[in-house]
Amino acid sequence: MSAASIYMRRRLTNVLAMILSACATALGLLFLVWILLVTARNGLSAFHVSLFTKITAYADQGGLSNAIVGSLIMDLMALMICAPIGVLAGVYLAEYASRTRLGTTIRFLNDILLSAPSIVMGLFVYVIIVLPMSHLTNGGISFSGFAGSVALALIGLPVIVRTTDEMLHLVPGTLREAALSLGVPKWKLTVQILIRAASSGILTGVLLALARLAGETAPLLFTAFGNNFMTVHPLDEMASLPIAIYQYTNDPSPALHSIAWAGALLITIFVLTLSLITRFLFSRKKVTYE
Amino acid sequence: MQVTSAEPLARDIDKRSRADARHDLIFHRLLKFCALLVLASLIGAALSTLWGGRAVLFGQGWHFLTNDAWNPVADDYGALAPIFGTLVTSLIAVVLAVPVSFGIALFLTEIAPTWMRGPVSAAIELLAGIPSIIYGMWGLFVFVPFMANIEPGLNDTLGQLPLVGKLFQGPPLGLGLLTAGIVLAVMILPFITSVMREVFLTVPTRLKESSYALGSTTWEVLWDIVLPYTRSAVIGGIILGLGRALGETMAVTFVLGNSYNITASLLMPGTSISSSIANEFNEAVGIHRSALIALGFLLFVVTFIVLLIARLLLRQLAKREGN
Amino acid sequence: MNDLADAAAAPVAGVEGRATKIKVRDVNFYYNRFHAIKGISMDVPEKQVTAIIGPSGCGKSTLLRMFNRIYAIYPKLEATGEIVLDGENILDPGYSMNRLRSKVGMVFQKPVPFPMTIFENVAYGIRHHEKLSKADMAIRVEQALRSAALWDEVKDKLKQNALGLSGGQQQRLCIARAIALKPEVLLLDEPTSALDPIATSRIEQLVAELKSEYTIVIVTHNMQQAARCSDLTAFMYLGELIESDQTEKIFTKPGKKQTEDYITGRFG
Repeated sequence: MSAASIYMRRRLTNVLAMILSACATALGLLFLVWILLVTARNGLSAFHVSLFTKITAYADQGGLSNAIVGSLIMDLMALMICAPIGVLAGVYLAEYASRTRLGTTIRFLNDILLSAPSIVMGLFVYVIIVLPMSHLTNGGISFSGFAGSVALALIGLPVIVRTTDEMLHLVPGTLREAALSLGVPKWKLTVQILIRAASSGILTGVLLALARLAGETAPLLFTAFGNNFMTVHPLDEMASLPIAIYQYTNDPSPALHSIAWAGALLITIFVLTLSLITRFLFSRKKVTYE
Repeated sequence: MQVTSAEPLARDIDKRSRADARHDLIFHRLLKFCALLVLASLIGAALSTLWGGRAVLFGQGWHFLTNDAWNPVADDYGALAPIFGTLVTSLIAVVLAVPVSFGIALFLTEIAPTWMRGPVSAAIELLAGIPSIIYGMWGLFVFVPFMANIEPGLNDTLGQLPLVGKLFQGPPLGLGLLTAGIVLAVMILPFITSVMREVFLTVPTRLKESSYALGSTTWEVLWDIVLPYTRSAVIGGIILGLGRALGETMAVTFVLGNSYNITASLLMPGTSISSSIANEFNEAVGIHRSALIALGFLLFVVTFIVLLIARLLLRQLAKREGN
Repeated sequence: MNDLADAAAAPVAGVEGRATKIKVRDVNFYYNRFHAIKGISMDVPEKQVTAIIGPSGCGKSTLLRMFNRIYAIYPKLEATGEIVLDGENILDPGYSMNRLRSKVGMVFQKPVPFPMTIFENVAYGIRHHEKLSKADMAIRVEQALRSAALWDEVKDKLKQNALGLSGGQQQRLCIARAIALKPEVLLLDEPTSALDPIATSRIEQLVAELKSEYTIVIVTHNMQQAARCSDLTAFMYLGELIESDQTEKIFTKPGKKQTEDYITGRFG
């Protein structure tokens, strides 16, 4: 084969690879647009004030107000559980156990927890909270908004641990030395200076966790269960948007399908807005020092 | 000289030092407790599902894994069909997602003009942000009818091939293993892409430049330099995607068809571990419920092992980076 | 009185007529197994500026960081020997950190203001050591900022975030933060290496003013800086103290060949 034809073949391979990779990117974007457009179109056409004013008990004459309220309550409770624990655990990994065996092990297992199947977290909470509660109260309380929140918290926890750990690693060591050289004890340095220096990064982690857990359905199936009526009591069975969508999608009635689409649009807007905000926060300043 | 006035001050300072040390210790213990909770949630998930599924796991032992029956009337439960469905859909997902992810990662790191890289990678990551229930709805209402339209075509073309033909013969329902696999592929695409993109970027520029200097094309640099350099991490990213696919529930539950089949045809409806649990748990009682929790235990153990391998592979590159 | 006698009998040169503030005796330092400081002894005179010079990696910063045991926050580091401050060995584990760090202040290579207001940056350290009324605190902060020659530039924006200051201002803020605790010794670790020439000369001027109240030890890789603002200079090479003497002497007729080579730029 002549040098020229080898050269031609190499260039042809290259051009082909480039075209294919551009096609792959187009395909990925096509799916994104497809899913978002379908959700937007179906969701918008079913959008109505009654979504926010009526409860699911009225079925196709109703709305999703109890599910929206339930989701807000459970997401917030989940954050209240996993944010403090996650931040403190992340601080432990970054500041106290960065290179110890325990620290490395926990960091490693946390990464696994990050992509562990969420339905198993639901089963976990079912076994350790729902069953014992039902047992203790003779069936008076079984599924509850509280149990749902714990299951969601387990989904958010590893996200917060990891971001906090990473963000604290970006805080320059000299800041620690400067504070310690003033005689400030380590706990004060950590709480008052390091967490503050990494605060926008840590906030990013908390919002990421919220975006992650707000869209979860599987962990709620057998923890919060669902409820066709409005409740704000954390020990009641509690409705949520993902579960309402799941039930309506499983129903043969097209009227319920369109309410499900409206709910889907609500969740998608909420979750994607959160991820865009965190992206913005994150790219603007990871930590105050850079 | 100032001995008299300095002494009590020194005692004060020592007292404060002891208080500081005490507070430091309390704080340290609090942090450690929280970190141990992370560990506890992982161990707890394994132990609680083991406990919840004990009636089936210990009652049937290995038979549970090899039994292909799932009969609530006779209370006879085997994990084979759900395991089969989980593995088949996840494998389809990985096989489809890997080349596409690879192409996107190549596009984003080597080909696209700089102004395009930020927005496009943000868009691909957005795909990871869409809640899985939305994938499920889109799958059921949009993608299943779409597949029902093209499946007769698959029957007539790929279905006629020797050997692999059997995979593509079957009723054109739209539902089934292949559809679920494709939906899963779209779901795990952004995860594999972002790992590949990140590890491609870790390849030292001097390495790539020295290859370009010898006249290599972009493709040759990627194939001969970048890929060998990042091999373990790329495999890690792929396995990470596999781990995601194995555990996914909502995206597949609607489109699998929920039927305990083990067939050669990918067009047939099936089930998976997670969709069996999601579909049946709230109606199940007694041994049926125990069997579902036992399935959860199996899923957890399998994904744990898969994710463990993925993280170990990913860590190899991180270690090299650190050195 | 004791101090005077010690200074007179010191094995290494001091400045005549000055009491010795810190006596370093046969000090060694190890990073893991790397022997970074090898048997150094020297005296640091009170209310004078002592400069430590030497090529990078010679251990000069390490030595400085032993004076307030800041190295103790990292694992696997080990120090032996004695560093005697006012008659007590600060390397003794029984020596309280709070006491040491309120007596010895430190300013680092890069200015590192805390993520808070200018006022809070200075008040932060004081709060940990003393309970002051609001008015007293305001006076202390003003004093510290005045001593650091920063007051006039920031008095109208004390409530603003300290990260908004220029690099030179940030470094003077760090000096104010250190002297607000009324330490007796001030350690400066290459305090001007991240600053422009104008900001550098302001810091040097400040060092000259501060030595009437504080014992200052400055580490610098800039020989001119050592010559300009120190009374005593110590030259280190490969973890050893080659010689220490009055600055004028070191720069005009050094006792050792290695010192002369370094000063004249033949290596380093």
